[in-house]
Amino acid sequence: MIARVLNAYMVELSKASRQALTYIGPVLVVLAVLCMPLVRRVARDGTSDYAFIAYATPMALNLLGLLVLLAYCASQVAAELGSGTIRMVLVRPLRRHEFLLAKLLLGMTYAVLLTFSAAATSWATVLAFGDLGGVSYGGEVIYTSGAMLTTYLVAAGLSLLPLFAAVAYATMISTFTRSTGAAVGAAVGIWLLVDIVKYPLRIAPLVFSTYIEAPWQVFANRCGGFEASWSPDALYGAATSAAWSTVLVSLAMLALARRNLNA
Amino acid sequence: MVACIQVSKLRKRYGTTVAVGELSLEVESGEVFGLLGPNGAGKSTTLYMLAGLVAPSSGKITIFGKESRKNFLEIAARTGVLVEQPTFYNYLTARQNLLLSTRLAAREVTVDRALDLVGLLEAGDKKVGKLSAGMRQRLGLAQAILTEPELLLLDEPANALDPEATQDVLRLLHRLAEETKVTVVLASHMLHEVELLCDRVAILNEGRLVACEPVDALLSYNQSHVEVLLDAPEAAAKRLEEQNWVESVRVWPGKVEVKLLEPNAHQLTTFLVGAGYRIAGIIPRRRTLKDYFLKVINS
Repeated sequence: MIARVLNAYMVELSKASRQALTYIGPVLVVLAVLCMPLVRRVARDGTSDYAFIAYATPMALNLLGLLVLLAYCASQVAAELGSGTIRMVLVRPLRRHEFLLAKLLLGMTYAVLLTFSAAATSWATVLAFGDLGGVSYGGEVIYTSGAMLTTYLVAAGLSLLPLFAAVAYATMISTFTRSTGAAVGAAVGIWLLVDIVKYPLRIAPLVFSTYIEAPWQVFANRCGGFEASWSPDALYGAATSAAWSTVLVSLAMLALARRNLNA
Repeated sequence: MVACIQVSKLRKRYGTTVAVGELSLEVESGEVFGLLGPNGAGKSTTLYMLAGLVAPSSGKITIFGKESRKNFLEIAARTGVLVEQPTFYNYLTARQNLLLSTRLAAREVTVDRALDLVGLLEAGDKKVGKLSAGMRQRLGLAQAILTEPELLLLDEPANALDPEATQDVLRLLHRLAEETKVTVVLASHMLHEVELLCDRVAILNEGRLVACEPVDALLSYNQSHVEVLLDAPEAAAKRLEEQNWVESVRVWPGKVEVKLLEPNAHQLTTFLVGAGYRIAGIIPRRRTLKDYFLKVINS
């Protein structure tokens, strides 16, 4: 099964690499980060500019990047169902859940690509126009540049988990409809609706999207010279994301398994 | 002969609509089997259930001696499928589409051979979005035969093709069936292509099997429908119309076409010779699949 999923994933990668749509997301994220110096100063003035990175990466990633990711993943299965190309794929020795796993892997790869685009552009901007010394307070270095880089990498890694859950969510929506527009609209619309009602309904701690900023908050606190721990929020977010991913992927598999793929 | 496909009490319902009801049939290995029927008869649904694209509501499908759902991967690896109006990734070339298909099939095959067989070798590097409907249909066929399958499931293979391309595709399928002994199941409402290709046909109507016969038996010469070449067709027609054993008569230049109530050409010739007509020949009319199909569907 693993070989078949990897095979299908390579096919998905091959298809995605030939679509212009794939490159729009990373380009938008890069442009968004490049615009950030307009609202958050970066300068070679002897003070470290990690605060810019702590601002630019999650801003670009969790607003624009998230929307792009939801739209991209929501269109994946729906587009194949709508055009009928899924029949070309599923008459080959590939089970439906394996096809879905390949799509999920593609979505995760896209999430990594968006994160990398935001991260690389943020760091490159500061390297080019600002300072990346350690974080100091009262003349004493509290976090060295190496420690900050490590914190950033851990934050980026942990922030991928809610993004992977978002991939599972959008992919699940995608299996419910043959219309790409409807899938994208539903994925973004439901996401926004849940974000609005989760606090009044007091369900926010149970929703993975609540924790999407949590790992970056730790990095931002350390940029300011504060001690900050990954526990409980960032780790609780990771666990919530993993649990939701399992539920959403199972629902997506069930929906696709029950679909009739006739004309 | 070994059965390649065995279908037992196959049923598919969409809500309250029965698309296929209690269908049972067998297709032998190496046979070219036609599924005929008017629109909505359940031919495509049956084919898609065989291909694993549609789950049956009940019943059993056995392909290559194995239960189809449990052994889907093995069966799919040995089967080529052409769906109705095949779709491809428009932003990829014909060749790239086939390459992806071979990768999914985990088979090392040369794509150019399949493109050549369907006459698309030169158009292989064109984006699918720029191919005509007929070329896409041929690409669909190329995809079906790409992995040299033992079983071909074809839904309307001559769809969207011009008459010349239809002939090419029919010739190709005929050649494949002859040379490779591939088992072919062909769903179509084009009686001509079924008549030319198939060894046996099943006729479906409203989801039910109404007939399943060898094509040769269906198309055998019909002793109750004959053409008589003779010297005075108009006068002979008038005399024949008066006979109570004649159902109908049509006059053509130099001949009459006679439908008899009973298959008794001897009575006809005896009558015409006795009436003094000079008969140059009697030609029994060959039944067409269309005749049989209409008769079965209407009954």
